[in-house]
Amino acid sequence: MGFLVPAFFYGLAALAVPVLVHLINRERKVAIQFPSLMFLQKIPYKSVRRQKLRHLLLLALRCLALAILVAAFTRPFLPRHASPGVALTGARERVVLLDRSYSMGYGDHWMRAQDAARAAMRELGSGDRASLVLFANDAAAATPPTGNHADFDRAVSSATLSAEGTRLAPALKLASQIFAGSNLPRREVLIISDFQNVGWNRRDDVRLPPGTTVTTVDLSGAFAGDMSVSAVKTDRDTDPKSAGRDRVTVTARLTNTGTAPRTVDAALELGGRPVETKRVTVPASGAVQVRFLPTGIPSGATRGTVRIPHDALPANDAYHFTLAPDEAVSVLVIEPPRARANQSLFLSRALAIGDRPTFHVTVKSADAITTADLQGRALIVLNEVPPPAGAVGAKLRELIAGGAGLLVVPGDLTTDRWPAEWRALIPLRLGAVVDRTASAGGTLASVNYGHPVFELFSAPRSGDFSTARLFRYRAMTAPGDSGVLARFDDGSPALVEGATSGGKVLVWGSTLDEYWTDLPLQPVFLPFIHELAKYAGRYADPRAWYTAGEVLDLSRHGELTAAFQVTTPAASSDASPLVLESPSGKRLRLSAGGAAHLAELREQGFYELRGPTTPVGSGRPIAVNVDLSESDLSHFDPRELVAAVSAPAGSGDVALAGGVVLPEELERRQTMWWYLLLAALIFMAAETVLSNRLSRASS
Amino acid sequence: MTAVAPEPTNFLDPGVLAKIGNLELLARVVVQGFINGLHRSPNLGSSTDFAEHRAYMPGDDIRRIDWRLWGRTDRFYVKEFEADTNTNFLVVLDVSPSMRYRGAPEDQSAVSKIAYGCYLAAALAYFSSLQRDRVGLATIDGELLDYVPPSAKHLQQVLHALARRIRLAPDASRVARTALLPPLTKLSESTRRRSIIAVISDLYEEPDAIMEAIGQLHGRGNDIVVFHLLDRNELEFPFSDSGNFIDLETGEKMPVIPDYFRKQYRELVRGHTTDLARRTRDQRVEYALFDTSKPLDKALFAYLSARERLGRVR
Repeated sequence: MGFLVPAFFYGLAALAVPVLVHLINRERKVAIQFPSLMFLQKIPYKSVRRQKLRHLLLLALRCLALAILVAAFTRPFLPRHASPGVALTGARERVVLLDRSYSMGYGDHWMRAQDAARAAMRELGSGDRASLVLFANDAAAATPPTGNHADFDRAVSSATLSAEGTRLAPALKLASQIFAGSNLPRREVLIISDFQNVGWNRRDDVRLPPGTTVTTVDLSGAFAGDMSVSAVKTDRDTDPKSAGRDRVTVTARLTNTGTAPRTVDAALELGGRPVETKRVTVPASGAVQVRFLPTGIPSGATRGTVRIPHDALPANDAYHFTLAPDEAVSVLVIEPPRARANQSLFLSRALAIGDRPTFHVTVKSADAITTADLQGRALIVLNEVPPPAGAVGAKLRELIAGGAGLLVVPGDLTTDRWPAEWRALIPLRLGAVVDRTASAGGTLASVNYGHPVFELFSAPRSGDFSTARLFRYRAMTAPGDSGVLARFDDGSPALVEGATSGGKVLVWGSTLDEYWTDLPLQPVFLPFIHELAKYAGRYADPRAWYTAGEVLDLSRHGELTAAFQVTTPAASSDASPLVLESPSGKRLRLSAGGAAHLAELREQGFYELRGPTTPVGSGRPIAVNVDLSESDLSHFDPRELVAAVSAPAGSGDVALAGGVVLPEELERRQTMWWYLLLAALIFMAAETVLSNRLSRASS
Repeated sequence: MTAVAPEPTNFLDPGVLAKIGNLELLARVVVQGFINGLHRSPNLGSSTDFAEHRAYMPGDDIRRIDWRLWGRTDRFYVKEFEADTNTNFLVVLDVSPSMRYRGAPEDQSAVSKIAYGCYLAAALAYFSSLQRDRVGLATIDGELLDYVPPSAKHLQQVLHALARRIRLAPDASRVARTALLPPLTKLSESTRRRSIIAVISDLYEEPDAIMEAIGQLHGRGNDIVVFHLLDRNELEFPFSDSGNFIDLETGEKMPVIPDYFRKQYRELVRGHTTDLARRTRDQRVEYALFDTSKPLDKALFAYLSARERLGRVR
């Protein structure tokens, strides 16, 4: 019999408590004067003795319950060896899980890991098979189950380190899938890793099939410390010497996990050229901040890097970021030739306020619009004008397909049907003008606060739309409820979103000035217009860098794609006109909207996003850094992982290579503590029943 | 200032009586209050109800000749009246240490058995004195301690002796315990006239010994009323804490776990009192059990019923 937590036996000392209490109470026995003991002396002595015996039984029950409770907490188990579930003969199906997270680049870990993988293959005899699974954040089989040593060695040699962190669970699940398709009797898993703490979440419920032998190759070894650039911060301000020009101050944080202070040269590079180098001393197990001199922001998006000299783990010695001039959302408002005096005034003034983002608003008359006016626009507002026809209309539809947004305000347009070429983009029918002036106007009664346009107003006291009066609005018939973002109090749609594969198309039922409504005079107007324009213009806060493993969603980043909107009909027919080139040179075709708008950023360095005609090197850089949690090289005991991935009790055994099952695993399978706890409860219940009976009998 | 007359029956509460120092006053309060409560004449017992006629004999008082009957029959008859005549009334009070028990020391209004017995004895003596009986007192604790022989003039002595017994601490130099036979035997030898004897005791003796002692008095023609006084704690045994129980009479100690003893103790006490009640009834002796926390009226009723039944003498 073994015990997982024998220290709990000290709890047995608690047994002395009831005895001590009994003895103390005996010493303190009070003297009670009574007229005569005549009757008390007549009570048979054996009766008292029997009561005492019953008392002893009660005491024994209590002590036993306490002792069993303590025993349950010590987590007892019966030791066993050589579990019979592990097959010892027959051909082997071996899965080699090779960790390729960037922490494996520490020292010679990666080389040793590759050697261990090759050695694992060499051990196999004829009839045995092996698979190589490379894993970092996720896992992929580099080779199918094979007995060919050359193929396996080639796969090992061609494996490279990734820029991602470690996650063991996907690799183990993939190994389970490989075993599920195998008919070989002996199943073995070899895990080659540095077993970082961050790589194994104890809550991951991963189980290997019964009978699987798990062997580990722990490469963690001695850790001499590591220097890294753990963060970079960019602060913008206006250059006092050059009015109107922005400058940026870059601050980097350097971290030293070693036991000795280190002096390093931290270098700032902008656009691939060194700008400044600073020598700093980072204390042992500490961090310092390095503040570089302010520098002017170059025109266009610029690559920036803070770098320190390479050490044992080079992946985290550089931190990349992107510097871009403030990226404004370009808005074109088209109004009728004979527009009202202030028809676009409220809209343009509202968008002129604020700098996150800055809106560049241009107001043009419908009869003066040309295709050139549409170039580079992120949002076009048809302010009580019908959709343009001819070349301008085609260009506008092209822009929308490429990701630009369209806000339609029908107002009192006489038409009730859109032109045929626009019906697919604006899928609703216009009705008559609803006049509510007689009843003090209508209100916005139903708002979808879950939609990005209204999300800002979802919290209490974050804007009240019900105060706005809408005296007139256009009745609209939407094809379904899904696109209606807001309704008037009579139930008719107020703001409708069209379902398009490209940019966003929205229709507002009333006007954007005070002609039909007093909404522009309400406090919610400005944030409402800003949110509407940001959503329709696909604006997202620009990010200076991404982390390896993140997914880039171009449909939410209009600022990245606005410069590459297609202009030629030939290009517009291409469903994926954009190209994303990784630091290693791999190219991926993408689009701003539609199906191909997602890309996984797996490599460290600068990706480049280019349009169909953008020259190589002139595209929009996107910085990607490694996941810094992987820089924490603290590791856990691999036996813990082996115990955790063992099959549940009763379904078989997972053994270590030595054939000895861990005590933790034995205890977990036997769960004797549970039975002991149950027994303790039964004894406590019996004690309660007995004491109640004694109490009743005595009274 | 208007004096508010107290509710008479309130004075029958032993806790209230304990606050009255003067035993005569106490006895008067008890008896008057009790009688007022009954709405009966204070001259009860001294009535002169007609009983019968008998022929005149030389020596009879000629004032008792019924002249009307002489007119009708031409013979002399004298009238016989049924009246309470002077009789001896003797209170035998047990003052053994067990009678000094007071069940609830923390309750200031609670009285000890001996105090309760004294109040009862004083009230009975006063009551009898009102009926012109001769009253006497004997205190016992295994021996005969005080003896005030029955006399029409001894009420004050009886009350004085009772008051002294309440105040007197028990004599630690001698072991005294309830034993009725020796003192009652002694009493039976000294009382020559038929008496009504009220025995007030907690009767911590075997029923055989008690009945033997009472038989000594009863056999000589005395009418016996036994007042058995017990504290509520003695009846119910409500203790919860274990402890050493000390016998007040012998000083003997005994470890007791009340929870385990309670049931059997109650059965023994109940058996004892039931046995006593049965045996006394068989011997035509009045027996009454009293809880000292209860008012005195019950005791007075018991005495009155006995007095009415036994006290009719011609």
